[in-house]
Amino acid sequence: MAVVEAQDLHRTYKTHTGTIRRRVKEIEAVCGVSFGIEKGELFGLLGPNGAGKTTTIKMLITLLIPTSGTGRVLGYDVVKDAREVRKRIGYVFGGERGVYERLSGYDNLRYFAELYGVPSRVQKQRIEELLELVGLKGREQERAEGYSRGMKQRLHVARGLLHDPEVLFLDEPTLGLDPVGARELRATIASLTDAGKTILLTTHYMFEADALCDRIAVIARGKILAEGTPSDLKRGVAQGSIVEVEVYGVADETIESVRGLDGVLAVSVEERDQAQVLVVQTKADVELTHAILGHLNGANVGRISRREPTLEDAYVALVTEE
Amino acid sequence: MTVAARIFFVGGVTSFRALFYWLTPWIYVPSLLVGPIFQILLFAYIGRSAHLRSDEFYVIGNAIQYAAIPCLFAMSQMIGGERYQGTLSAILVSPAGRIPLFFGRSMPVVVNGAFVAAVALALGCLILDVRLPLSSIAPIALVVLIAAFSCTGLGLINAAISLRLRENAVLTNVIFGFLLIFTGANVPLDSLPGWMSTSAQGMPFTHAIVAARRLADGASLGAVGGLVGAEVLVGLAYGLCGYALLRWFEAQGRRYATLERA
Amino acid sequence: MRTLRLLGMGWYFQFKMISRSAFEGVGQVIWPLFFATVAFFVFRAGDSPRTLLYASLGAAVMGMWSATSTTAGAAMQRERWFGTLELLVATPPHFSLILLPVTLGMATIGLYCMAATLLWGRFLFGIHVSIVHPLLFGLSILGTVISFGALGFLFAVCFVRFRAAWALGNLFEYPVWLIGGFLVPLALFPDWVHPISWALAPTWGMNAIRESALGGSPLDDLALCLGLGVAYVALGVLVTERVLRAARVRGALSLT
Repeated sequence: MAVVEAQDLHRTYKTHTGTIRRRVKEIEAVCGVSFGIEKGELFGLLGPNGAGKTTTIKMLITLLIPTSGTGRVLGYDVVKDAREVRKRIGYVFGGERGVYERLSGYDNLRYFAELYGVPSRVQKQRIEELLELVGLKGREQERAEGYSRGMKQRLHVARGLLHDPEVLFLDEPTLGLDPVGARELRATIASLTDAGKTILLTTHYMFEADALCDRIAVIARGKILAEGTPSDLKRGVAQGSIVEVEVYGVADETIESVRGLDGVLAVSVEERDQAQVLVVQTKADVELTHAILGHLNGANVGRISRREPTLEDAYVALVTEE
Repeated sequence: MTVAARIFFVGGVTSFRALFYWLTPWIYVPSLLVGPIFQILLFAYIGRSAHLRSDEFYVIGNAIQYAAIPCLFAMSQMIGGERYQGTLSAILVSPAGRIPLFFGRSMPVVVNGAFVAAVALALGCLILDVRLPLSSIAPIALVVLIAAFSCTGLGLINAAISLRLRENAVLTNVIFGFLLIFTGANVPLDSLPGWMSTSAQGMPFTHAIVAARRLADGASLGAVGGLVGAEVLVGLAYGLCGYALLRWFEAQGRRYATLERA
Repeated sequence: MRTLRLLGMGWYFQFKMISRSAFEGVGQVIWPLFFATVAFFVFRAGDSPRTLLYASLGAAVMGMWSATSTTAGAAMQRERWFGTLELLVATPPHFSLILLPVTLGMATIGLYCMAATLLWGRFLFGIHVSIVHPLLFGLSILGTVISFGALGFLFAVCFVRFRAAWALGNLFEYPVWLIGGFLVPLALFPDWVHPISWALAPTWGMNAIRESALGGSPLDDLALCLGLGVAYVALGVLVTERVLRAARVRGALSLT
């Protein structure tokens, strides 16, 4: 039995606009998301901002009621058995908030330890261990308002682990962290699966999902576009190659015409300083460099390179497809 | 001359919309319409309990004094809002005459303050069955308007200070508290220690409240002219001080780039 | 047992947090002092047999109510602003066990207000408050704090839907001062006001405090005060269920 199950989850938001003539606009944030996570797996939900990752995770941790569909964690329904679910899961999200600034880090943890019913004889020891694990030892008596963003994030992680939950939900935990801090946090997350925990991680960093996750689901615009191990997804784009062309100012019509070329799988544009880089995914065994350049006639062209596709390209292709 | 008048009026009207943007009915009704009624009732009954003066005394005193809330807070909001939007230094360095500009922007605050006081007065009289002579209504309305003007002047100083002080709400509440005690709104001036009633002469509302009470007792507008004039002077003095303070902050701000700091 | 532990622990931490903001705290304490000052002047200047002692005790409880009413209404909003509301809802205990300590903590700040008012009255107006039954006085104060916290809890869950929850909370400051029997004896009000006063725990808390200070019998009043407090909590628990469910449906537990 899967530890976490999402079955055809839907979530629609209603927003009201205007004060005199109130109009109701419906936004479908999540449209039919299904997946399952096995015990001990580190499952990644990968997608750009606004894809529906946070909405999905919030439905599974009982903070949001799905418009339709069901979610189950450890066999318990997330709507009907919310309390049972809450006892067994930990929730960590990135960001500066979610911490009581006027309390010390230690007090923050004590408060939540009580809320999660961690037995008092175990509390002190558990908190010490967790502070050690997340690297906050020595700073725990300071008020949280003095913590850097990275420290607050680490406090979140400690908080999520207080009651030793079987399942952890991490919502973009490395967002806004400096590279060193992020790397350390990833190492910590990896060690958690080693300890047998099941983890759902959302992120928009491709390399993070690639490095950490056993399986990844790519989500965009509320739908799952692909699912599989990182190798599976790479295999999906292993055939074919990538042509990268540096241009200085390229018109939209030009991009469209390149996209329309026979043998082209996807085209995306990256902004790098002054120039734009046209990243063209082509089918295998097709030489399209000249054709592409032909369409770019008139624009200033810089470097041209050809390379093997990476998982990043697979992701970009999936996510930018209309 | 007409340019100044235009700056005054057009700027003023735009400020009206800005004022009511944040002042939603959900804040307006509880804080500015219901609040003063209860303050009036509270002190009228305290007065009854202590056997001191009449209901009319407390209705007039508190209706006028409560105008401090809209006048002080709205002024801070207005100046603070300009600063938040990054337009404050723009206004301060614009070639437009700053005096018509600022006084134009204060106009909605004054009118709103007077409106709040007038409604409180009317409702207070209705609920407590206080009869004001018909002939006194218009002069009292004028006095209320001048009282609001006077307090808005103080509001300008408060607003200037709020640019530098983070927790401005506390300061504003403290000013409100002082006005509650010193101005004779609830404690007759001759029951206050000498130093208090003397310092009250330099505060907004003191003269207006005395004038309004006398008008309610049947005095003519001419008889309270001196008091009305004094109130106007108090307002002007505070207004000009506030304006000077803002200009000083502006000069400092230009030197130390502090004006736009959030 | 665990319920009590949760309540106690939450109360302790929330009180700790609120007491740590010096400026806010000072502002909270000063505000009711202005009104107390006016009351003292009025009673002193007036022609009433009612003593300044009566006014002092009444003003002290006014301060306690002020500390609660002006903050409790926005308690849930405050948590949302901190980003902690979601985290609290995501924990196993019933949400009322988490929110009630918050408002209890706010009400406890009222103790500072009470002390400040009594000291103010003593040193500036020469009002000497001598307590006839100190133990009962202490119990009455405790009971009043608890019932204020309970009423604050009810406000918090009822007002959470309103963006200007703080304005609604403030709205209840003056009326309770007026009809709680703090400075104005209930007899002065028309009959129809009396049942409303009686339904308010503050009225009974005030009576209990006054009786224990002046040498009467506060136990009946205290019992009523606490009983009403329990009723407020019960009502609040029911409302909490509905409010949280609605918030989860609408997606309103966080700011983003």
